[in-house]
Amino acid sequence: MPRGWLLDVTSSRAGDSVLLWLKEMQGMVHRVEVPYAPPFYVTGEPDRLHALGEALDGRRDVASVAETAIQSSPFEAPDVRHAALAVTPQSHGRRRSLATEIDALGACVTFRLFDVDLTASQLYYLEHDLYPCAPVSWSGQHVVALEPPETWDYVLPPFRTSELAVEVVGQRPGRPPRSTDPIARVRIGTASVEGVDETATLAAVVEELRAQAPDVLWTRGGDTFDVPHLYHRALVAGFTEEEFVLGREPMPFGLDRAGSTFVSYGRIYHRSPSFALAGRFHIDLDERFVEDVTMVGFLDVARFSRLGLQTVARQSPGTAFSAMEVATARAQGVHIPWKKNLPECPKSAALLIAADRGGFTLTPPVGLFEGVDEFDFVSLYPSIMVHHNLSLETLECPCCPDSPHVAPGLGYRSCTIRDGLVPRTLRPILERRLYFKRRKRETTGAERTRYEDLAKAWKWVLVTSFGYQGYRNAKFGRIECHEAINAYAREILADLATTAQREGWTVLHGIVDSVWLKPPADADPEAFARRISAQGHLPLGYEGRYRWIVFLPDKAYGLGVAQRYYGLYEDGEFKVRGIELRRGDTCGMVRGVQERVLKVLSQVRSAAEFQRAIPEALALGHAAAAELAQGGWSREELVLTHGLSHRLEEYRTFSPGVAALRQLKEHGITREPGEEVGFLLADRRSQDWRRRAVAAELMTGSESYDAAAYIELLARSFETLFSPFGYTLERVARTWGHDVQSTTPPRAFDRHSLERPGQRRLTVP
Amino acid sequence: MGRTVPTYREALDGLLTRWEREFGHSLADPRDREAFHEVVLAARRYIPQGTMMTSGDLVERVLLSLLVDLQRKLRAPDPGPFESEIDAFGNLR
Ligand SMILES: [Zn+2]
Repeated sequence: MPRGWLLDVTSSRAGDSVLLWLKEMQGMVHRVEVPYAPPFYVTGEPDRLHALGEALDGRRDVASVAETAIQSSPFEAPDVRHAALAVTPQSHGRRRSLATEIDALGACVTFRLFDVDLTASQLYYLEHDLYPCAPVSWSGQHVVALEPPETWDYVLPPFRTSELAVEVVGQRPGRPPRSTDPIARVRIGTASVEGVDETATLAAVVEELRAQAPDVLWTRGGDTFDVPHLYHRALVAGFTEEEFVLGREPMPFGLDRAGSTFVSYGRIYHRSPSFALAGRFHIDLDERFVEDVTMVGFLDVARFSRLGLQTVARQSPGTAFSAMEVATARAQGVHIPWKKNLPECPKSAALLIAADRGGFTLTPPVGLFEGVDEFDFVSLYPSIMVHHNLSLETLECPCCPDSPHVAPGLGYRSCTIRDGLVPRTLRPILERRLYFKRRKRETTGAERTRYEDLAKAWKWVLVTSFGYQGYRNAKFGRIECHEAINAYAREILADLATTAQREGWTVLHGIVDSVWLKPPADADPEAFARRISAQGHLPLGYEGRYRWIVFLPDKAYGLGVAQRYYGLYEDGEFKVRGIELRRGDTCGMVRGVQERVLKVLSQVRSAAEFQRAIPEALALGHAAAAELAQGGWSREELVLTHGLSHRLEEYRTFSPGVAALRQLKEHGITREPGEEVGFLLADRRSQDWRRRAVAAELMTGSESYDAAAYIELLARSFETLFSPFGYTLERVARTWGHDVQSTTPPRAFDRHSLERPGQRRLTVP
Repeated sequence: MGRTVPTYREALDGLLTRWEREFGHSLADPRDREAFHEVVLAARRYIPQGTMMTSGDLVERVLLSLLVDLQRKLRAPDPGPFESEIDAFGNLR
């Protein structure tokens, strides 16, 4: 029996079978087609079901209909079955449309549908005890995993990897390619593919891919440009989908798929259409859910979620977590209720936490503090869910009226008898992350990096798992669960603060799962963390001691802001939140100067040294301001970026961003809500859209910029850092010999952008 | 998240805006205006605690915030470890 790895399971084009992509130890990749048509289920009154069965029977898009009984709810005992119809669509592609039709037949109330939005590959993995990239042995269509997905240490498949990058004729930096631009050359790995004409180049691309036979094709922006542009040019040149193949199997070009915008937590997210391949992984690094997650991390998450690598890499960690809940439920025999119109999960995990107002936060005292200790609860929210057995079906259960697990202030009880679906899903993840974190400490070099990557990927999944509970459309979410978790968390933090105070610590600040404490004279922070962990059954970690930390005020009231501070740990590392260089809308110039200021401050060991360093920092700004005033600063460094919450027509007030959008529109380029627009401030007082700003794409590099506006932006960034010590915008500017004429920041829109969590820019509408 | 109930912060914003419009605005004496501003600050200072209260109405939370702030000011001004090591004039403490 050959041994190797099951790289991927994809749906066949006909939609009545799946393709197993098997990679031999020696590197050969096999395509094994297995007939597979999983049904979805419909429950309802038996006579209605019977009538439905008769109506469906004999339809061309229905392969078969069978009466059966299923377990349809995690709330019910495992032996409770409900009459159901198993409906097998004639192809995977008809699954959703057929379900929609049945739902409409029952006026959306007569029938309940199950397993509709699970994909054929997901179900195939689950039903055959397989998972993406599993080490396997096989004979014919029979594939057996050699170890369970939970295995902690395993050998990665020896992926063959190539980078793909398309270059169009007339390409130069800053000029957005058009769909009419012919392809000049295509870089695949180390090869540069270029034919006598475009048609020859395109044919050579297919040949080169066949020769290199990569398992992973990675791009930067391949979903938004490289792949659709290749498909588009291939179509223009007369190639068919069978001829122009980037994967190991023909795929529909799917060029009509438009990017979608969706709203979540009051924020607008833009999603590019994805261009996945069959038999080959297309990973678009620009579309990663979190920037710092690597292949190793994606792969581990894919194993658990049974979502293919291409899906995991593109989707939010919430999608992966949801798929893991599905796997847990299916393992218990429970079928998955179909939630219609389920929007995509929110992309950014950090924002789920940030957006949640129910967590523990304090108003920190504004100013500089020496010798402050930070403690963080490790995976606080998931740990609470596991410890208190918080899950949609275990809350307020009828079996445990005397449960000791009562959410503080809310009174929600949770079950002591049945292990909930959510804790059951989370427990192995928590253990897994702890293991990876421990191994990271124990190892060095490449091994250490690998464990670090693994721990990081799971961190994001865990962070989302909480926000997901309160997400209205989550498959297994329940708002009371979300509230209960918050209530427990608040109490844990409040208890920690009380204990700390009793032991002589001063509580300076606290956010969600972290506290900043000023230690008493003889404090042993490690011992303190161990003691608290032992008392509360939740691991409290000691993050370290700051030489100094500055808590910053809001500009309107001067009160401390929870997520705005910068501090220098004793090991020389900075922790920085909410200041310009962390924000996505900051221009390179401000970011660069602020980084240099922090570099100066990184040498500072005490308040006294900090005080002495302020003039030195201001001098850096002064020099930059003088250079700005001369008009010679690199234009690229001055590009401001703003996220869009509306279409151009919908903006009521004129702003530099609107000016840039109009300029782009004149060049036939439109921007959608959720995307961003970059521009140079040319004359902030001009009411003329041609003069107020210059869209980044239309810059030549020699246009003049509004020096005063940029000096003000720079001064503002100094105000951010030093305002607790009396350095207002006006004072900073005066130090540099400039008068600030305006007190309103040159914002593009009257909306403030949030800090970027991983990479993506988000806007509050 | 499908919540339609305003958060404490949002409700307080609304209340303070109304107070400013209907009351603070008509204060003529600058000392009164300063005092009013301090009331606003006091209410805002305890937003986290007001948010964490699971019972009680809006005004109860505001009153508690104002009382605590008042009491704090009545006591001897001993900010101790809560005071920045460098003050608002750039001087070391
Ligand atoms: Zn129970």
